[in-house]
Amino acid sequence: MDNSGKEKEAMQLMAEADKKVKASGSFLGGMFGGNHKVEDACEMYARAANMFKMAKNWSEAIHCLNQAVDIYTDMGRFTIAAKHHITIAEIYESELVDIEKAIAHYEQAADYYKGEESNSSANKCLLKVGHYSAQLEQYQKAIEIYEQVAMSTMDNPLLKYNAKEYFFKASLCHFIVDELNAKLAIEKYEEMFPAFTDSRELKLLKKLLEAHEEQNSEAFTEAIKDFDSVSRLDQWLTTMLLRIKKTIQGDAGDLK
Amino acid sequence: MAYPNSRNPFAFDDDEEDFKPKSRGFDDDPDDSGMSEAERRQKYLQQQVMHTAQSAVDSSYRSLSLIYDSEKMGVETAEELVRQGEVLKRTDKMLDKMDQDMKTSQKHINSIKSVWGGLVGYFKGKPETKPPPAPEQPKAYQANERLQNALSNSREHEDKYQASHPNLRKLDTGGFGATASVDDSSSRQNGYSQNKHLKEAHQTLDKNLDEMCDGLRRLKNIGLGLQSEIEDQDDSIDSLMNKVDKMDVKIHNTNQQIKNLK
Repeated sequence: MDNSGKEKEAMQLMAEADKKVKASGSFLGGMFGGNHKVEDACEMYARAANMFKMAKNWSEAIHCLNQAVDIYTDMGRFTIAAKHHITIAEIYESELVDIEKAIAHYEQAADYYKGEESNSSANKCLLKVGHYSAQLEQYQKAIEIYEQVAMSTMDNPLLKYNAKEYFFKASLCHFIVDELNAKLAIEKYEEMFPAFTDSRELKLLKKLLEAHEEQNSEAFTEAIKDFDSVSRLDQWLTTMLLRIKKTIQGDAGDLK
Repeated sequence: MAYPNSRNPFAFDDDEEDFKPKSRGFDDDPDDSGMSEAERRQKYLQQQVMHTAQSAVDSSYRSLSLIYDSEKMGVETAEELVRQGEVLKRTDKMLDKMDQDMKTSQKHINSIKSVWGGLVGYFKGKPETKPPPAPEQPKAYQANERLQNALSNSREHEDKYQASHPNLRKLDTGGFGATASVDDSSSRQNGYSQNKHLKEAHQTLDKNLDEMCDGLRRLKNIGLGLQSEIEDQDDSIDSLMNKVDKMDVKIHNTNQQIKNLK
């Protein structure tokens, strides 16, 4: 268990990096090699952050990464800044569990990737943002994101197979907000993307809409069970479906 | 002897011998306490058939879910692949930029080395900036065309395939009615048996097989798309390797030149 050793090393690296950054601020440093020093400092921050992660000292790691990100953004190297944002967001996601900050970082990363024309990477981050926003009940945002991603992927022959998944998620978010919205949205998506019509997801949605209209929670559960028996529903989908079910049962009965 | 005239595949020939002597005993009171031996036999066979049909349906559900899982994995792979392709493209752009920078630095070195070289460089003017490679993806469209063709082809052949493939032809079950009497011709509806449960089972099976067919077709297309994308990326990796090698040599030369300037 060399954690404390790693931590000390990490602290050292961080201190050195700090010095370099400060040094480049001086007049002479700026003239002769300011950039060079700052680049070194960046790298050191990144390495220090890595060591902090290994030592499980998350807040320090995030601090280092933030410093590194600032410097990279100043230099205009957005791709690597985006990568660090993702690392930070992952830490917030899993270790420090601060979903709001995670969302913020993923969003930044997505923006930087978009700026660098890396649309796939941007989409990956956007999906995470949508995922967590929906969990935090920010449905409007989630809907926009999923629709955006779905529309950008549906033309690409390789990625279009997943477009139906995104439309499905967007429809579910619509559904939680309001049933009528969901109906209109589904019609819109069917028009835009005919392959969506054949998918089992759409069939499930139609069954759910019916069950919801009739306020029939058994039919609702039945339809979900059918779908689950063929392809498993993941945690996120289950949460959303439960929320929709709550709106069916309304004020009567216990919430399962 | 009222053996059901069933052409079912479960009629065990050697058992029929055993039944003969017993059924003679039962002939005297046929409908008294329920079923005769023959009817019991038939019921047993019916259950066997139902059992088999049910397990066929279950297995088709399992296959369907496996197909969907594979599709999901294929799709995720495709996304990763596309992301990788973008990274390769960006690397390519960066290398081009590096090339430009190297040319500029070469010019500067020339101007430092000799006044004459510097003047020549000055008059040559700025290095032509290569037009940035078009950001659109012609490769994607190429893959698209091939996929479209594959899609339309497979649709044409699908009907023929279904008619010819023995498994997909409607099962030829004799009339399994509740009564022992057998009326093959009239009881057959689309080759489905008259028995309601069996009919449902077969219908579900057919439906699942159709879905499996669709799923497999999608999987095939995903596979083909992945293949062409990987081929394209192979080519770009090769060209990148070349560029990087050349760049390496240039940098090395430039370093030497700078050292020699001292």
